[in-house]
Amino acid sequence: MQAAQDGDKAAWRCSPTSCRCSGAFVQRTWHSPQDVEDIIQDVLLSVHAVRHTYDPRRPFVPWLLTIARRRIADAARRSSSRAAHETTIDVMPETFLADQTKNEQEGSDDQTAIRRALVGLTGGQREAVELLKLQGLSLNEASAITGKSVAALKINVHRGLKALRRKMTTKAG
Amino acid sequence: MTLRSGDLVKALAADAAPVRRLASPMVRLGFWLAVSATYAATIVAAMGLRADLSARLTETRFVAELGATFMTSVLAAVAAFCAGCPGRPVWERFAPLPALALWLASLGEGCWQSFLQAGAQGLRIRPDFLCFPSILLVSTVPGALILLMIRRAAPIAPATTKALAALAAAALGATALRLFHAQDASAMILVWQFGSVALLAGLGALTGRKLLPWPEPGVAVQPTGTSPTDPRFGEGGHPCT
Repeated sequence: MQAAQDGDKAAWRCSPTSCRCSGAFVQRTWHSPQDVEDIIQDVLLSVHAVRHTYDPRRPFVPWLLTIARRRIADAARRSSSRAAHETTIDVMPETFLADQTKNEQEGSDDQTAIRRALVGLTGGQREAVELLKLQGLSLNEASAITGKSVAALKINVHRGLKALRRKMTTKAG
Repeated sequence: MTLRSGDLVKALAADAAPVRRLASPMVRLGFWLAVSATYAATIVAAMGLRADLSARLTETRFVAELGATFMTSVLAAVAAFCAGCPGRPVWERFAPLPALALWLASLGEGCWQSFLQAGAQGLRIRPDFLCFPSILLVSTVPGALILLMIRRAAPIAPATTKALAALAAAALGATALRLFHAQDASAMILVWQFGSVALLAGLGALTGRKLLPWPEPGVAVQPTGTSPTDPRFGEGGHPCT
C-alpha cells in the first residue's frame, strides 16, 4: 500500500491479496451471497479513494478491515432502506379481482354476443366489419375481394361499428 | 454485464496516481490549534479581557474549569483526527471524556457551593443572550477549518467524527468566552455555556453523515458489453459496475 500511495502501478497487482482478504471478510459477515461481489467492489473503491489515510508505520490489515466493516454497514443500511420501501410480488395480476370490474371486461370479449349483434347488421356492413376488423384485411384487399370501392367500405365499416356499439350497449344496459 | 473485481483492480491500478499521505493526528492538531487559537485570541482581544481575570486566575476552581474546557477542545480535536484514520483503536474516540468529566465536575462543585451559600436562589437560571452567540462566533472558524481537515480523512465513523469536531470548536469557543464574559455562576455556565457546547456537538453528530460522505473514486472503467445502471449509485449508474 505504501508503494501504491507513491503511485506505483505495479503495487496494485498485489491487490488480489487485499481482494481475497476483504472478500473472505465480506463473505463471512454478509448474509446474502449475491451482494458479496458488489460489496467487495465498494471496499476496493473505498480503499482506492482513501489510500492516502494509510500510515505505513501501522499494520495494513486492521486498516483494510476497518474500511470493509464500514462498507458492509453502509450496504446493510442501504439494504434495509430498500426493503422498507419496496414490495416483492411474484406475478402481476392480469385484471382486477372485483366482479364488477370483470363484467365489463368480459362483456366486450363475449364472442357469442358479438356474433349475435353482427347478424343484426345489413349485409354490406357485416361484410365490411368481418373483413376489416375480424380478419384484419386492409382496405385494398377487402376492396379486391368484395369489388366495392374503398370509400364505400369505409362508410360501411363505420356504420357497422356504430350499429354494433349501439346493440352491445343496449344489451349490456 | 457486471464488472468483476479483477477488472476493477486493473482499472484502479491504471488510475494509481501518487497521493500525499495524511499527516499524523498530532501534526494536524498542531496546525488546527495554531490557527484556531490565533483566531480565538483575536476575538478575545477585540471583546476585551474581563476586568477581574487576574484575580480569577488565582482561584483553583476557575483554573481547573478553564483548563478542563480547553483540554476538552484539544482532546476532542485529536480524537476527531484519529477517528478519520482506519485501523486506529476505538478508545481514542473517547479521549475527551476525562476532560469533559472534569469540566462537568467543576461546574457541579460550583453549583453545590452556590446552593450551600444561597440555597435554591444560588441555582437560579436567568436568560443570558451573550453565551450562545459568542460561542458560535468564536467556534465558526475553528469549526470550518476542522471540517475541511476531517473531510480529507476516511469517513469510517462520520457521526462520531463530526460530533467530536463540533465539540472541539465549541469548547474552544467556551474557553475564549470565559476570558471576556464575566459570568461565574456555575448553574448559568452549566446551562448556557456547557449547554451551547452540547447542542453544537449534537448538531455535529446529526449532520455527520451528510457532511462526511465517502469520496468519489474518480475512476472511469468501461466494461465491454452493455452499460448497466446500478440504482445504488443514482442516475446513470456507477462507472465501475
